[in-house]
Amino acid sequence: MMFEAAGYQLLPVLPEIVLAVGAMVLLLIGAWCGQRAAGLVTGLAICFLIGTGVIEYLLPHGRLMTFGGSFIVDEFARFLKILALLGSAATLVLSREFLEDQSRRMFEFAILVMLSTVGMMVLISAADLIMLYLGLELMSLALYVVAASNRDNVKSTEAGLKYFVLGALASGMLLYGASLIYGFTGTVSFAGIAAAAKTGSIGVVFGLVFLLAGLCFKVSVVPFHMWTPDVYEGAPTPVTAFFASAPKIAAMAVFTRVVLTAFSGVVAEWQQIVVFVAIASMALGSFGAIGQRNIKRLMAYSSIGHMGFALVGLAAGTVEGAQGVVLYLVIYTVMTFGAFTVILAMSRNGQALEQISDFAGLSRTNPLLAFFFAMLLFSLAGIPPLAGFFAKFYVFSAAIKAGLFALSVIGVITSVVGAFYYLNVIKMMYFDEQAEATDAVHIELRSVVAATALFNMLFFVYPGPLVSAATAAAKSLF
Amino acid sequence: MTMPYETILIVVLVLPFAGSCLAAFLQSNARNAEAWLAGAISLICLMLLVVSYPHIVNGGVIRHTVEWVPELGLNFYLRMDGFAWVLAALIASIGFLVVLYARYYLSPQDPVPRFFSFLLAFMGAMLGIVLSGNLIQLVFFWELTSLFSFLLIGYWYQTAQARDGARMALIVTSAGGFCLFAGILILGHIVGSYDLDRVLASGDKIRAHSFYIPALVLILLGALTKSAQFPFHFWLPQAMAAPTPVSAYLHSATMVKGGVFLLVRLWPALGGTNEWLWLVGSAGLISFILGAFIALFQQDMKGLLAYSTISHLGLITLLIGLDSPLAQVAAIFHLMNHATFKASLFMAAGIIDHETGTRDLRRLSGLRRFMPITATLAMVAAAAMAGVPLLNGFLSKEMFFAQTIETHDNSLLDQALPYIVTMASMFTVAYSLRFIAEVFFGPPPRELSRTPHEPPFLMRFPVGLLVLACLLVGIVPGLTIGPLLRTALHAVLGDAIPTYSLAIWHGLTPEFLMSLVAISGGVAIYLTFRSYLLVAEGPPLLRYIQGQRIFDRVLVAVSWQFARRLEELLGTRRLQPQLQLLFCAALLVGLAPMFAHGIEFGGEARTSFNVAFALIWAIGCACALAAAYQGKFHRFAALIFVGGAGLVTCVSFVWLAAPDLALTQLVVETVTTVLLLLGLRWLPKRIEKFPAADPPERDSSWRRFRDIGIATAFGAGLGALAYAVMTRAEPDSIARFFVENAYALGGGTNIVNVILVDFRAFDTFGEITVLGIVALTVYALLRRFRPAAESISVPEQQHSQDLYDEAQPTREKGDTLRSAMTIPRLMMALLFPVICTTAIFLLLRGHDLPGGGFVAGITMAVAFILQYVARGTTWTEEHLRILPVHWMGAGLLITACVGAAAWLFERPFLSSSFSYLEVPWIGSIPLASALLFDIGVFALVVGATVLMLIAIAHQTVRSHRTPSSRASAASPTAEVG
Repeated sequence: MMFEAAGYQLLPVLPEIVLAVGAMVLLLIGAWCGQRAAGLVTGLAICFLIGTGVIEYLLPHGRLMTFGGSFIVDEFARFLKILALLGSAATLVLSREFLEDQSRRMFEFAILVMLSTVGMMVLISAADLIMLYLGLELMSLALYVVAASNRDNVKSTEAGLKYFVLGALASGMLLYGASLIYGFTGTVSFAGIAAAAKTGSIGVVFGLVFLLAGLCFKVSVVPFHMWTPDVYEGAPTPVTAFFASAPKIAAMAVFTRVVLTAFSGVVAEWQQIVVFVAIASMALGSFGAIGQRNIKRLMAYSSIGHMGFALVGLAAGTVEGAQGVVLYLVIYTVMTFGAFTVILAMSRNGQALEQISDFAGLSRTNPLLAFFFAMLLFSLAGIPPLAGFFAKFYVFSAAIKAGLFALSVIGVITSVVGAFYYLNVIKMMYFDEQAEATDAVHIELRSVVAATALFNMLFFVYPGPLVSAATAAAKSLF
Repeated sequence: MTMPYETILIVVLVLPFAGSCLAAFLQSNARNAEAWLAGAISLICLMLLVVSYPHIVNGGVIRHTVEWVPELGLNFYLRMDGFAWVLAALIASIGFLVVLYARYYLSPQDPVPRFFSFLLAFMGAMLGIVLSGNLIQLVFFWELTSLFSFLLIGYWYQTAQARDGARMALIVTSAGGFCLFAGILILGHIVGSYDLDRVLASGDKIRAHSFYIPALVLILLGALTKSAQFPFHFWLPQAMAAPTPVSAYLHSATMVKGGVFLLVRLWPALGGTNEWLWLVGSAGLISFILGAFIALFQQDMKGLLAYSTISHLGLITLLIGLDSPLAQVAAIFHLMNHATFKASLFMAAGIIDHETGTRDLRRLSGLRRFMPITATLAMVAAAAMAGVPLLNGFLSKEMFFAQTIETHDNSLLDQALPYIVTMASMFTVAYSLRFIAEVFFGPPPRELSRTPHEPPFLMRFPVGLLVLACLLVGIVPGLTIGPLLRTALHAVLGDAIPTYSLAIWHGLTPEFLMSLVAISGGVAIYLTFRSYLLVAEGPPLLRYIQGQRIFDRVLVAVSWQFARRLEELLGTRRLQPQLQLLFCAALLVGLAPMFAHGIEFGGEARTSFNVAFALIWAIGCACALAAAYQGKFHRFAALIFVGGAGLVTCVSFVWLAAPDLALTQLVVETVTTVLLLLGLRWLPKRIEKFPAADPPERDSSWRRFRDIGIATAFGAGLGALAYAVMTRAEPDSIARFFVENAYALGGGTNIVNVILVDFRAFDTFGEITVLGIVALTVYALLRRFRPAAESISVPEQQHSQDLYDEAQPTREKGDTLRSAMTIPRLMMALLFPVICTTAIFLLLRGHDLPGGGFVAGITMAVAFILQYVARGTTWTEEHLRILPVHWMGAGLLITACVGAAAWLFERPFLSSSFSYLEVPWIGSIPLASALLFDIGVFALVVGATVLMLIAIAHQTVRSHRTPSSRASAASPTAEVG
C-alpha cells in the first residue's frame, strides 16, 4: 500500500505531509537562491497551501483516523483546515507587496507561515493531548518568529519577544493541565478521557482548568489576552492579519474539539469556565477598544471580543452551538481579513498609516475602499443584513436554546457597545475633514478587500451551502 | 392584471431596492430622472397594492415563502394582511408625494443620486417591516431602516448638526434594535417558531411563560426607541437636521410609526396584562404630555413639529397601552390620520424654509400675504392636528377621549386620566395655534433676506393632496377611510371587531365636551402666554433637563472616560505586569476548583521523614529563593545559587536511587553553568542600585516582595498538586512494559538507555538532529556578534595583576597573567586523557549500567571546557584536531546508517540486535547495534557542545582586537568552524 509506513495509514495526514515537505523544498530553494527568490518562494507557497486545501477536500469522506487514534480527520477538521489554509494563503497574497520592499525581503516569511499552518492542521486534527501539544507548539514557534519578522523595528521585535515569553508560559500551563489529566485518567486520547472522566473528579477539573487556560491564551480571551494588543500593534500588518485569522481558527477548533469530545461528561465544569471567559472577553473587547487610537490595537480588542462571541456558541455545548462556532469562525475570518487588508492598503507616501484619525475623509479620497471598509465594519459590528449579524445570530440562538439567557443578554449588550467604536471609524471616514490623499492601492489588496466585503454583503442571499457544511462539521463532533 | 398575488408581494418589496441600486448610478445632477424613477417606483408599488386589495379585504392574507435558512427553520416569508396593507399603502403613497416634493426641495447642487437611492432603499426596508411574516426577518428590515435613517439624516454631512443628529439617531434606534432582536429571540424560544402567525396564535402561552417579562421589556425597548417615546424621545428633535422631505417621510409618517406598528402587531400576543398596561401606557402618557408641553416652547418650526410628533405618537402608544379592542381601533385610526396631517405640515414648513430661508418662529410673520394657498393648506392641517371638528384629527381624538374615560384598572391614575389628557390636548391646540399665528399672521416679516412667494405648483401639490385627505376623512369618514380601517382592524382583531362609529356627530357626549374644553383652553393658553413664548429659551424647568445632553454626557463617560480608565487600570504594555497577571490568573484558575471541590491527597505509601534529606532540601530551597532574590542585581551570585539548587536535585536523584538521572543531571548542570558563565561575561556583573529614584527604592523592594509572594504561592500550589497526584495510585502506564522488556527485547539492563537507543530510538534520532541544529544556530547567531564596547574592559583581576606588574621594576606587564595558570594548566593537561577515558567508559557500559552516549558526550565536552579554562581560547582552538562540525556530521551519519542498516535485514528502520563480545582482560562487552547508535549520539553531543563553547568563548578573542586589525583580518572563526 502506498500511503502506509510503519504500520500506520498515511492517507489522512497526506495534506500535512505535502505541506511540510513543500516547506522544506522551499527552504532549500530559498537557501540556494538567497533573498532574491523571496517572490518565487512566496508564490510557490501560496500554490502549496491551496493545493493542500484541495487534497484535504479530496480525502475520502467520513471519519479517518491514524497513528493509533491520535490523529483524526472528520468533517469538522476538514472544514476548518481548509479554512485555515485559505487564511494562510490569503496572508501570503497580502504580504507579497509588503515583502517587495528591499529591506523587508525575506523568503523565510512564507516558509514560516507554511510551517505554522502545518501546526494548525495538526492541531485541528488532534485527537489526543500529545498531538494537540505538537500542533500547538509547531504553530506557535513559527508565529513567535513571524511576529518579530520586521527585525529593524523595535516594536516588532518587542512584540515577538513578548509573545514568546507569555506564550511559553501559557504552553507550560497547558502541559501542566495535560499531565494532570493524564495522571488522573491514565490516558491522553480524547476518547479515553471522555470515557474516564464521566464525573467531575477534582483532578480532572484541575487538569481541565489549566488546559483551558493554555488554550484561552492561544485564542486570546480574557484573562489571557494581554499580549494581543501589543503583538497586533507591533507585528507587521500582514502578520497581524495572519494572527487574527488562521491561528485563531485552529485554536478555537481545538478548544471546541477538546471540550466537546474529551470533556463531554463534565459539561457543567467547563461550561462555567467558558461562560465566564466569554462574558469577560466580550466586555473587555467592547470597552477596551473604545479608547484606542491605533487601528491595529482596536482590531486586537475587537478580536478579543469576537472570540468571546464565538465562545458563547461553544458554551451552549450543543450541535447548534458548535455549528455557530464554526460559522462564526468563517465569517469572522473573512471580515477581519478584509479589515486588515484595508489597513494594509492605507499608506501615504509609502508610510503605513495606522492611526484611526488617518482614516478621516477616506470616503472622498477613495470612495470605493471607504465603502467596502464601512461594510466590513458594519459587519463586524453585527448589523444586519451583513454576514456578521448572522454569525452572532447563530451563536446567540444556540445559547438561548441551551438556556443561557444571561449570557446572551450580556452578549447583545456588549455587541451594542462594540458597535460604537466601529461606527466611530465609519464616522471618521464619512464625516470628518479629509486629510491628504492616500497612495494608490495595489490590485491584489483591492481584490481581497472587494471579495471579503462582497462576501459579507451577500452572505444572506444564499447562506445555504455554508450553513449546511457547518452543520455537517458540527455534527461530526457528536 | 394576471399577476398572481404572491408575485405582487415580491415585486413590491424588491422594486424599491432595485430602484435604489439604479438611482445610485445616475448622474449627480439628474434631478428629474431620479425623481421620475423614484416616483414611478412608488406609484407602481401603490398600484400593485391597490390591485391586491380585493384579496385581503375580508380578512384574507397573502403569503409567500422562499426557503432561506432551512437548517434553522427560517424561511423568507412575506405576509400581507389588512393592517400590513394599510401601512404599505401609506408608505408607498406618502413616498410618492415626498419624492415629488423633494424634486423641488433639493437644490441643483445637492448630490441627488445619494438622496433618492437612500430614500428608495428606506422605502423598501419599511415595506419589508410591514410585510414580514417572520420576526427575524422583521428585525432585519428594522435595522435597515435605522441604517438608512442614519444615512438620510446625515445627508448634509458638512454640518456638525447633521452628523451629531445622525449619530445619535443611529445609536439610539440601533441599540433599541438589538434589544428588540434579543426580545424576539426569547419570544421565538417561548413559541418555538419565529413565524408571525404562530406567535400571534400563542398569546396565552407567551403571557404565562416565565420569560414573558424580559421578552416584553426588550421588545418594548425596541419599539419605544424607534417611535421616539419617553425616555428615548430626544433623538427625534436632533434628527430634524435632515432635509425636510426626509423629516416628513421618515420622522413623522413612516419610520417612527414602525414602533407603534410593532406594538399593534404584537398586541394580540403580548397585550392583555398589567405589565403591558403600565409599561406601554405610561410611556405613551408621558410622551404625550411632555411632547405637547415642550412643543409649545419651540422656536424652530421643525422642532415644534418634532415634539408634536413625539406627543402624537405618545397618544397612539397610550391607546395601545389601554389594552382594549376599541383602543386599538382608535390607535390605528390616529396612526393613519397623523401620517397625513403631519407629513403635510412638514412639507409646508419645508416650503416656508425654502422660500424665506429661516425656520425661526420669531423671525417669521404675516406670510399669509405672500403665500395664501400654502397658508390655507397649513392652517387646515394644523387644525387637524389640533383636533378641530370636521377634520380627521378630530375623529380619532374623540375616540381617544372616549377610551380614556373608560375604566381600566381603576387606579388613581386611571381615574385622573381624562383630566390629564384634556390638559395635554390644550397644549396641542396651543402649539398648533402658535405655529399658524406666528408664521402666517401678524405684520409682514422684516428681517428676511428675500421676498417669499408661492412655491411651484408641483411642490405644493403633495401638501394639497394630503390636506384634501384630511378634509375628506374628516367630513365623510364612512365613505373614505371606513372600509380601509375595517380591513386593517380585521387583521389585528380578527372577527371580534367591536362596534365603533365613524360619525362626525355623536351628540353631546363627554368626549365632545373634552374636545371643547381642550380647544378653548388651548386658545386661552396661547393668548395668555403669547409674548412669553416668543422670548422663552425653552420650557420652564424642563429646559434644564435636556435628553440629548444627558445622552451625550453618558456617552462620553461610558465610551471615553470609562474606557480610558479601564485601560489605565487593566491595560499595560509592559511585559512584567503582563506576566504577573498571567501568573495571578493561573493561580486563581487553580484555586477556583480547589475552593469548589477541596483538595484531597491520595493514600499511597509515603517515604518516611529523614532529617538529612530534609536539610538537603532546605538548602535547595534556600538556593532557589536566593537565586530569585539576586537574579536582578547580582547575576553571578544568582547563577551560583541556581547551580546549588541543581546540585540538590542531583543529590535527590541519588538518594531516591536513580543514579542514571543523577549522573546526567550533574553533567548537564556543570556544562550549562559554564556556558552561562561565559555568556555572563558580557553583562554587568552586579547592579548595586537602580540609577534614579524612579521608581523609588521602597516601591521597588515592595514590588519584589510581592512578586516573591506570588511566586511562592504559585510554587506551593504546584507542589500541592504534584503531591496530590503522586500520592495516588499510578495509572497503568507504559513504564511496566519497559521494565519487563528492556532486556528481553533491547538487550540492556539500563532501562533509560534502552529506551533512548532502542525503543524510542527514532525520537532520539530526532532529538540529536535538533541538538545539532541548535548548536549550528547558536554558532551562526554569535558568529558576527561583537560585544558592546563598555563590556570589553579588562577583568578586574587582570587589571590588578597588571598594576602589580607595572609597580615592580623587574616585571613586564602581563608576566603575572602568563604564569597565573601554570599549575592548573598542568593539572588539566594530565586530567584530559583521564576524562576522555571516563567518557568512553561511560559510553561503553551505558547499555547495562548508568551511562550512555549522551552523558559520555557531555563528559567529553567537560574535558574540552577545562582546556579552554586552563589554556585559553587561542591555544585550544589551534590544537583542536577534529572539528566540532565533523563530530556532529559523523554522529548523525552513524545513527542514520545504523538505522538504515536494519533495512538490509528487512527489518523496520532502527531495529536493533545485540550479542556479547568476549575481549581478553576486559571481559564480556555487550555488543548491540544500539551501541553503534550510542556512539553516534556521543559524537553529536560532543560536537554540538564544543561548537557552542567555541561560539561563546571566541568572543574573548575577538573583543580584544583593536579596531584597525578588525578590518584586515579574515573571520577568525573560519579556521575553527
